[in-house]
Amino acid sequence: LPASLGRSCLGRWLLATRGWALLGTGTGTGSCSCLRWRHRPPLLLRAARQSIGTQAGGLRAEKPGDNSKDVSLQRALNEETLVSAAQKVKEAGRDFTYFIVVLVGIGVTGGLFYVIFKELFSSSSPNKIYGDALEKCRSHPEIIGVFGDSIKGYGEATRRGRRQHVSHIEYVKDGLKHMRLKFYIEGTESGKQGTVHVEVKENLETGRFEVRYIFVDVETYPRRTIVIEDNR
Amino acid sequence: MEEYAREPCPWRIVDDCGGAFTMGAIGGGIFQAIKGFRNSPVGVNHRLRGSLTAIKTRAPQLGGSFAVWGGLFSMIDCSMVRMRGKEDPWNSITSGALTGAILAARNGPVAMVGSAAMGGILLALIEGAGILLTRFASTQFPNGPQLSEDPSQLQPPP
Repeated sequence: LPASLGRSCLGRWLLATRGWALLGTGTGTGSCSCLRWRHRPPLLLRAARQSIGTQAGGLRAEKPGDNSKDVSLQRALNEETLVSAAQKVKEAGRDFTYFIVVLVGIGVTGGLFYVIFKELFSSSSPNKIYGDALEKCRSHPEIIGVFGDSIKGYGEATRRGRRQHVSHIEYVKDGLKHMRLKFYIEGTESGKQGTVHVEVKENLETGRFEVRYIFVDVETYPRRTIVIEDNR
Repeated sequence: MEEYAREPCPWRIVDDCGGAFTMGAIGGGIFQAIKGFRNSPVGVNHRLRGSLTAIKTRAPQLGGSFAVWGGLFSMIDCSMVRMRGKEDPWNSITSGALTGAILAARNGPVAMVGSAAMGGILLALIEGAGILLTRFASTQFPNGPQLSEDPSQLQPPP
């Protein structure tokens, strides 16, 4: 069906590409289906004609193009000798400024990447210690008894409401580095909240931090403290 | 404090969406004002009218696309927080990557991967800057409590 329609429509609009008025008057009867084809086929044929035209024109344009390339090359050589020392210095200065800007940009980006890598992947970052302590809390039976099964952990609230920052303090005692962390946990059961205090001490042989103590303060009326780990 | 007693998460989405729209609209407004000014015929009246037209046309579009980015990012972030139960920089980076991927979904899988990489890297940089700022701000103040002894909640060591 579409093929037969196409052939009949082709006949009609080939006549009518010159003037749309012909279509209106001559094909008023029984050509409602052809009217739909008016929009697409003319564009196709016109586009095809245009591409063929440019291909032929392109082939012909190759030869003068070569000449223009030679001319432009000669002109460039002539222009180079006219470039004065002042212009060269200006260009060098501009290039140098761009180079400095690129260096500064790379430096800043590299610094930010280093910070985020150290925060996420090094085992001595507060975030890692917070993650490990939270895992230990989640698997402790007494905590599960008080707070319920799914325990949420979060840190200090910033102005925007994101609570990613875990408050921590680093200090040196007896020549070893210690770090204290504090974060909050919350359970689904009756919205009980608790504060987890963690202290880690650096182990000089392995170079990693090992836990000194972990305990949880539960915010119920008789304050309750659950000690998860005590390695003092 | 009472204002932090409320859970930030679902309301943070609206916050972030609106903030992103404002940033996009104002920034886009400034850029389009300058661009419209420069691309108009000579004469201050023409230029002012041109820049006003440019602002009216383009600034809401830019604000809208920023708002979509911010709203989608915040939605994914809150969902991850809910799923993992932990608030981390990892949430932000993954949310940025997923937002970039979803917003490039029309252009096929390869474009999605590229857009996800860009979104993740951008958010990693923003997170790094945030961490730097927080650490820097917290070292401004001298040490608070003296830390020579263990907290009183712990029993004396065995």
